[in-house]
Amino acid sequence: MARGISALETMPVSPYARLTRAILGVLAGAILIFLYLPIVFLILFSFEKSDSPGFPITGLTTHWYEAMLADSGIHTALLNSVEVALVTAFLATVIGTMAAFALVRGRTRFAGTGRLLFTLPIMIPGVLIGIGLLIFVRRALDLKLGLHTVVAGHLVFTTSFVVLIVAARLQGFDRRLEWAAADLGASSRQTLRYIVLPLIAPAIIAGALLSVTLSIDEFVITFFTIGPQLTLPLYIYTQIKFGVTPEVNALATVILVVTLSVFAIGSLVLSSGRRFRRREAG
Amino acid sequence: MTSETAGGADQAPLAGSAPGVRARLGRAVPFVPGFLMLAFLFLIPMAIMFVFSLWRTNSDFNVVADWNLNNYARFFNQPVYLRTFAKTLVMGTAVTAAGLALALPFNYFLVRYVSRGLQRAVLLAVIVPFWTSYLLRVYAWQAILGETGALNQFLMGIGLIKEPTTLLVYNDTGVFIVLIYVYFPFAALALYAALEKFDFTQLNAAQDLGARPDQAFRYILVPQIRTGIITACIFVFIPILGEFLTPTLVGGAEGNLIANLVVNFFRQSQIPEGSALAIVIAAFVTIVLIIFRRSLRVEDVVTRG
Repeated sequence: MARGISALETMPVSPYARLTRAILGVLAGAILIFLYLPIVFLILFSFEKSDSPGFPITGLTTHWYEAMLADSGIHTALLNSVEVALVTAFLATVIGTMAAFALVRGRTRFAGTGRLLFTLPIMIPGVLIGIGLLIFVRRALDLKLGLHTVVAGHLVFTTSFVVLIVAARLQGFDRRLEWAAADLGASSRQTLRYIVLPLIAPAIIAGALLSVTLSIDEFVITFFTIGPQLTLPLYIYTQIKFGVTPEVNALATVILVVTLSVFAIGSLVLSSGRRFRRREAG
Repeated sequence: MTSETAGGADQAPLAGSAPGVRARLGRAVPFVPGFLMLAFLFLIPMAIMFVFSLWRTNSDFNVVADWNLNNYARFFNQPVYLRTFAKTLVMGTAVTAAGLALALPFNYFLVRYVSRGLQRAVLLAVIVPFWTSYLLRVYAWQAILGETGALNQFLMGIGLIKEPTTLLVYNDTGVFIVLIYVYFPFAALALYAALEKFDFTQLNAAQDLGARPDQAFRYILVPQIRTGIITACIFVFIPILGEFLTPTLVGGAEGNLIANLVVNFFRQSQIPEGSALAIVIAAFVTIVLIIFRRSLRVEDVVTRG
């Protein structure tokens, strides 16, 4: 298999192989720079002294971070975002984990349809989900928009991510462990509590963390389903619409760092349990 | 891949081997909350949007239950809609092609020439922007490409230009650049999953047997990573049909895509008109998904976190 690098694989088969490899390497490096350039600029500008960020950098300051910390608009938006993210993540994790069990353990035909159903919210553009919900809430039900409708909108797609992640883990789950527990006298409830849940816990935790970051970062659906309040991305959007302010760069940097940390924890948790996966048969 | 395999040791104990109707229903119960959530927050809203698209707005901006197809007819009658839709398809195709053209050599290099441990690190580096805020990533480009942005300041700083240029921003070019940036990670992840399983010694074998490098690529590599290529295309193309933020921030007056028109309708409370356009997009997306459902590997892209 193509694991590691063997002498055979790297053996040049044409005189141009080395050149091709060098060109590909440069291209790959350029792409990585392209991916990180905007993020680096964002962070750099957040420390820029002048209030119209750009080159040349006139000096470094943490002033914008202080301004951001003192801004009550940001406080409110942050609290709203956190509230929405926590409620969304909790509901999405519970609902999604349950659905994943039904999909993986249920009949195959049912599982196929169910999987397709949960794939749709990931593939359908957020604009459509947001507008659909907006019409439903405002025109059909005649209810008010608010943070609860934002949670509803976020739930639609975060649940799908939890379903896919937990289902992937359940699929690789060695069911003989459950049967062994049953043979040893465990009730199905005990098997679930002491065998199944601990083994799939990394996927559940990763799903929950992912839901938190997706919800905190979500802009499009929130844009349509929010009432008079603001979440952090909406706050940033209104600021951008007024014009670039360095304070937004500072806020953006903080959000980037926080979501990256949560993401890193999530992927560490998810990879930590991989060794319990079912061995390939044979 | 199925988790159940035939064979004595893998068989379930007797209690679970003959599931009755009750047991089968019992197994479907955990699906109920998820199904209700999707039904009420996604399927029913979509259905209502469809119904609204068949009604009309009166002069007081209220929706009247007056069944007609005018909202759809308008899509074909007024050139601005068809033109914007066509432009969106062209933009989507161009970004998808560019994304593939970047992601394929990128992953080829990664999988073939980079050690296993470093591969994981580079892949993580690609995924990370994928999970960071979409709004912030688009905004960061505005700060680079914009009139007072980094690029202009830099070019003026080194004396290459005198006046700030807007050649790369507030037009289709700006939208194109930013869309490639935003959707490249999707393409990279989908292709990585496919290339990872590919045995590169096959290319050497093909060339030993007399194939030219391009023939080996075309007849050996491409067929084996077909699902990855299709998944990458879908993951880049479909979201662009719903893109309205990138054109709003870096597209300027001429950069509008089809979703911008939908959003504008809703801003002006023309709900049936906007709904019809939204349904056209949704129908298009659904058709693409149905056609390619067998080749779409959503898990390859989203469960790599």
